[in-house]
Amino acid sequence: MFEPPVQRLIDEFARLPGIGRKSAQRLTFHILNIEDVDASRLSDAILDMKKKIRLCAQCFNLTAEELCSVCADLRRDPTVLCVVERAQDIAVIEGTNQFRGRYHVLGGSISPIEGIGPDELRIRELLGRLDHEGVTEVIVATNPTVEGDMTAMYIARAIKPLGITVSRLASGLPVGGDLDYADEVTLGRALSGRQEM
Amino acid sequence: MHLAWLRLSGFRNYDSLEIEPDIGVNILVGPNGAGKTNILEAIAYGSKLRSFRSSPDESLVSTNAEAAVLRLGIERAAGEGRIEIELPRNGRRRVLFNGKRPQRSSVLAAEFPVVAFLPDDLGIVKGGPAGRRELLDELASQLTPTTGADIDQFKKVLRQRNSLLKQAGRSVDVMTLDVWDERLATFGARVLLHRLTLLTAMAPVLRESYATVSSANGVLGWRYDSSWAAGCTPNTPQSEAESLLREALLRRRERDMDMRSTSVGPHRDEPTFLLDDRLTRNQASQGEQRSVALSMRLAAYYLLEERHGRPPVLLLDDVFSELDIERADGVMALMPRGQVFVSSAREDEVPVGGRRWSVSGGTVT
Repeated sequence: MFEPPVQRLIDEFARLPGIGRKSAQRLTFHILNIEDVDASRLSDAILDMKKKIRLCAQCFNLTAEELCSVCADLRRDPTVLCVVERAQDIAVIEGTNQFRGRYHVLGGSISPIEGIGPDELRIRELLGRLDHEGVTEVIVATNPTVEGDMTAMYIARAIKPLGITVSRLASGLPVGGDLDYADEVTLGRALSGRQEM
Repeated sequence: MHLAWLRLSGFRNYDSLEIEPDIGVNILVGPNGAGKTNILEAIAYGSKLRSFRSSPDESLVSTNAEAAVLRLGIERAAGEGRIEIELPRNGRRRVLFNGKRPQRSSVLAAEFPVVAFLPDDLGIVKGGPAGRRELLDELASQLTPTTGADIDQFKKVLRQRNSLLKQAGRSVDVMTLDVWDERLATFGARVLLHRLTLLTAMAPVLRESYATVSSANGVLGWRYDSSWAAGCTPNTPQSEAESLLREALLRRRERDMDMRSTSVGPHRDEPTFLLDDRLTRNQASQGEQRSVALSMRLAAYYLLEERHGRPPVLLLDDVFSELDIERADGVMALMPRGQVFVSSAREDEVPVGGRRWSVSGGTVT
């Protein structure tokens, strides 16, 4: 047990994901040794972010404004919507520079075990946007897990009757890798999702 | 493939243990309660990621440790492999294979196949169908990694569907249930076809194994009873089996909503073993049942050896005291083939020579 103020910070760090007891101690003792201004900068950054960041009114991406930078960008194609589980996923897809449409963040995937059904996700909001924004194509980019696949199927069923094209991200081989390094399940999916040349 | 070294800490009665077993026969001798079976259990855990005694993970952690750590070095055709498992008293299990998290828990079953003969194997024959389903699914995963993935996925989907029914019952959202049914049908059909394929491949091996362990006449065969997949064979197209399960789920839907669980599917099917046309479960003598149990393990061993081109690691937990000479011969036929671990309270009960390890009070020498 350390002095109460030290222990308090250790406990707070240890609550964070991926941080164990030892890392929490290391971080705490690092902060103990830095200048006061550096410590204030860190605590200000945390508070400032918590104060300013909210969810985009349209797609539920993170933003400091009313609309996120993607939704506010008039050059983006409003007829194509990419549906993701979490806001972090948007940054990854943006990194590809290949997608010029807009996003919709569901906030998770359907998982009855965790008590998450369609109503706990932003699926109703998604359906509302389709009509309102004149969307003609939806790309479902949920994770390739049992729950992500399920969520994708659910969305496809809900959207298909509206005459909107629905597609799912292909899953397959990592680029630049050797075939014999791919695991069998990935390879199996790549095989069943093969493309004609 | 064989176990090159084993290191344990905080596992059962071992504070810390390090052994480098022989690549042939290893005989663990020691009094009852000395910890012989614990070593076999640790080796099997490295392959199956669960206790062969069906003990929960927490109970594997020794009373004066915060976590049990198992490390296994395996020698295989593709080079050395390292399995590391940490079982904390509280919190999540951590598994690493060659320093990385395996993509599925069934990866190790195929990388490090282990066949264990256990004193209560008789339960597979005498007990309910759950034990036989598990035996088949486990063996199918050891034979082909993709099969293990299908079985894992089926179980996940089933757990989710049951959880949905449990929460909502009659007020369940029909479209959500539809989608889970779709997935359950896809993976359920695969599990069925994997089992039927395995049973078909196993049949001749099973017949032969039974003939070697039993002098009594009788042909050991199997039957697969299923309320939804009657008439299916290993050659039934996947799509056909899928529609059968989809329809069965729909027929039972009302009932499932009331019962709040899934009443039809491969998890309710009943694989049975037959001696001629008698059910081994309740129409065979105790001696015959023992031979049948032994034959199933032997068949598993031979199938794995054939598939991987190398024999699996064999674990014999105190089996010789239960076997008469005739049946022991069937087990003995496996002895020179690959790496073996035998546990016994009395060395003179083990009808084979090998590296002798003396086990007592948490140490092995």
